[in-house]
Amino acid sequence: MSNTVALPSIARRLSDLLSPGVGANDKPKRKAMDRPRTDEDQKLVARTQSGEAGAFDELVVKYTPRLYGLVYNMTSNHEDTNDLLQDIFAKAYKAISGFRGKSSFYTWIHSIAVNMTLNFLKKRGRRFHLSLDDVDASIQNDKEFIELTATSSPVREADLSELQRRLNEAMMKLSEEHRAVVTMFHIQGMPHAEISKILRVSEGTVRSRLFYANRQLQNYLDEFRKNPVS
Amino acid sequence: MDEFDDKEIATLLRLKRHEQPPPGYFDNFLHEFHRRQRDELLRQPLWRIGLQRAQDFMFRLNVPALTSYPAMVTAVLVFAAIISLKVYQAPEPVRLSAQAGPAFAAPLNPGSELTLASPVATRVFTAQPLRNFDERARTHRAAPPRYVLDSVPVSYESTFRF
Amino acid sequence: MSRPSDFKSPAGFSEGISQAVMGKSAFALILCLVAGSASAQEQSATSISREVKDVFARAARAVVKIHGNDEHSEIFGTGFFIDPTGTLYTSYTVGGEAGNFTIEFDGKKYPARQIVADVRSGMAMLKIDAATPVLTIGKTEQLEVATPVVTIGYPLDLPETPSFGMIAGFDRKYLGRYFSTTHLRVNLPTQRGEAGAPLLNLKGEVVGILVSSLENNSSCYALPIEAAEKIRSDYVRFGEARHGWIGINVSEAKTPVEGSRAEMADIMPDTPGADSGIKSGDILLQVGRTKVHEPEDVLDASFFITAGDTVPITVIRGSEKLTFDVQADFHPASKRPAMSATLEPNRGIPLNLQPPPKK
Repeated sequence: MSNTVALPSIARRLSDLLSPGVGANDKPKRKAMDRPRTDEDQKLVARTQSGEAGAFDELVVKYTPRLYGLVYNMTSNHEDTNDLLQDIFAKAYKAISGFRGKSSFYTWIHSIAVNMTLNFLKKRGRRFHLSLDDVDASIQNDKEFIELTATSSPVREADLSELQRRLNEAMMKLSEEHRAVVTMFHIQGMPHAEISKILRVSEGTVRSRLFYANRQLQNYLDEFRKNPVS
Repeated sequence: MDEFDDKEIATLLRLKRHEQPPPGYFDNFLHEFHRRQRDELLRQPLWRIGLQRAQDFMFRLNVPALTSYPAMVTAVLVFAAIISLKVYQAPEPVRLSAQAGPAFAAPLNPGSELTLASPVATRVFTAQPLRNFDERARTHRAAPPRYVLDSVPVSYESTFRF
Repeated sequence: MSRPSDFKSPAGFSEGISQAVMGKSAFALILCLVAGSASAQEQSATSISREVKDVFARAARAVVKIHGNDEHSEIFGTGFFIDPTGTLYTSYTVGGEAGNFTIEFDGKKYPARQIVADVRSGMAMLKIDAATPVLTIGKTEQLEVATPVVTIGYPLDLPETPSFGMIAGFDRKYLGRYFSTTHLRVNLPTQRGEAGAPLLNLKGEVVGILVSSLENNSSCYALPIEAAEKIRSDYVRFGEARHGWIGINVSEAKTPVEGSRAEMADIMPDTPGADSGIKSGDILLQVGRTKVHEPEDVLDASFFITAGDTVPITVIRGSEKLTFDVQADFHPASKRPAMSATLEPNRGIPLNLQPPPKK
């Protein structure tokens, strides 16, 4: 039972986004989610390693929202995400005394998160249960959302809410590894270099996985476009 | 152009950032994390709890002589032995309350068709109010106030027994 | 995100009356009847509204905002007085693991102390020193699915707020995990800060304590008031909650015997069950006042046993119906070890994270 994205169903036209007026030649500006400062993290890790109560808590509070996004978009299930996040931080806490700082804490904890989620997904196999989060009101202030909803045209109408639902389904059809790169690059806004460090693959592999995943998603959404009733 | 292209996919994916958990979720997360850590702690074998407490005690004493490794190990072992002796005076099936959870999550009758969620059932608490929460407030960065309404009950039973 | 309660406005009786067909007097008669029933419908809708308002007006004074501090932060919840000397009920999540409590009541703040905190039931009792209004205790056996109910709570940083809904079910478990005792599932909107709120019937009697919410706060679970009263009764008698323990695991019998499928499986050694004469394979019919038909029923039966009390247990063995009077011991989940142990009573584990394991 999936929660549909709680957006008003108004007709949209996506191609308007690409009309010359919007600057189709510009690469769409990808804003990474705020990258935390490494020196702050280093201090917190050091304090944790020295046994200070509360230092690890600060890391938890700092990283939960980021890691939530990562895990949730890979699992599409809020409850599983919650359980996984607990396990991820528990594992990080146990292992932190061995953390030497060869990579940043950011990379380290994201690796733990991605690997645990991938293992979880592989064990779970094809049986998945969507338990989607509602769309937060903050979307109203999102520039791209505003652009999307401000334009309308009788030429091609696509229900954005339905489209989001299809996108979530399409995401679940990708393999776990492809979903991971799509999540990290498009949703979390991480650069290729960071993703390659986290997954321990080359940047080339990251790019080719993204390319392939994009094709897959396009195909699924096109199928929906052609057969809207299903 | 009838097909979706990369930009559209990218935009739609990016908008997924706005799919967020219910309000209050993140505030509650740390609290849940601590509760799970405690549950796990209670599930450890008694000797290990004793050892950790002893280590902790030694660490806090911060006596230079005792922080030398062999001295510490000896002290810890002695401490653990004392604790173990005290504890194991209890009759076999009724262990120290701290271990009540796992010790009594008795295995289900193999013939039973009922499967209940594992693991630990009800757990222990101390009726005394927490010590040092003022002190703790100082070491933590001030967290926002939490308006309480959890989404799961605090305890559950793992077997049918009375 | 609260949703306003759904009140149906009186149906449009003016539709469907075909004036052309009726004579004037007939029409007048019909109009009177229609006006009568329209106002009756209106009355019943407004009477529910009035009842809810009455409940709120009478009960709100006894409902208080609780402020405390736990290891991480300040916490806020709700509670309510159940005796005139300032004893109040709240949920364990509010009053169980925090300290430095203050209660806001009648525009003033009072310090409060914790007197009982019971994980198994999910409730806690605090006390202030003041003369207080009281909520009357009701009975959950009078509730049915769709019985209307009201809560009064302190959501977020807002003042006392009513919410209206109905009983949705009586649940033994949630998402596969069994409660310690049957809980009331209630369809009414709740917000954070309302844990510990009283669940009231339309007579204004308290029938439950709000303990957790489900599904984006559109429903909730409440601990039945009888469960809280059991804990309070233990406290009055012994100064603490005393969960009782017989020591028997129950499983499902292949065929029901005299209406019961609950079969005694393992009887744990060194427990009152072991010395009672009850045998593995006996079919359980009744524990104390609780009739047993299936293994699940044992959860409620178990919850209401008090350590030290003698419990009559009725079983069927073969064709014989036997009753055993067994004195319950302390439940393993309660903080007191067995009565025969020599350990200090208040031994517990410090509730803070251990420093990370040193390599």
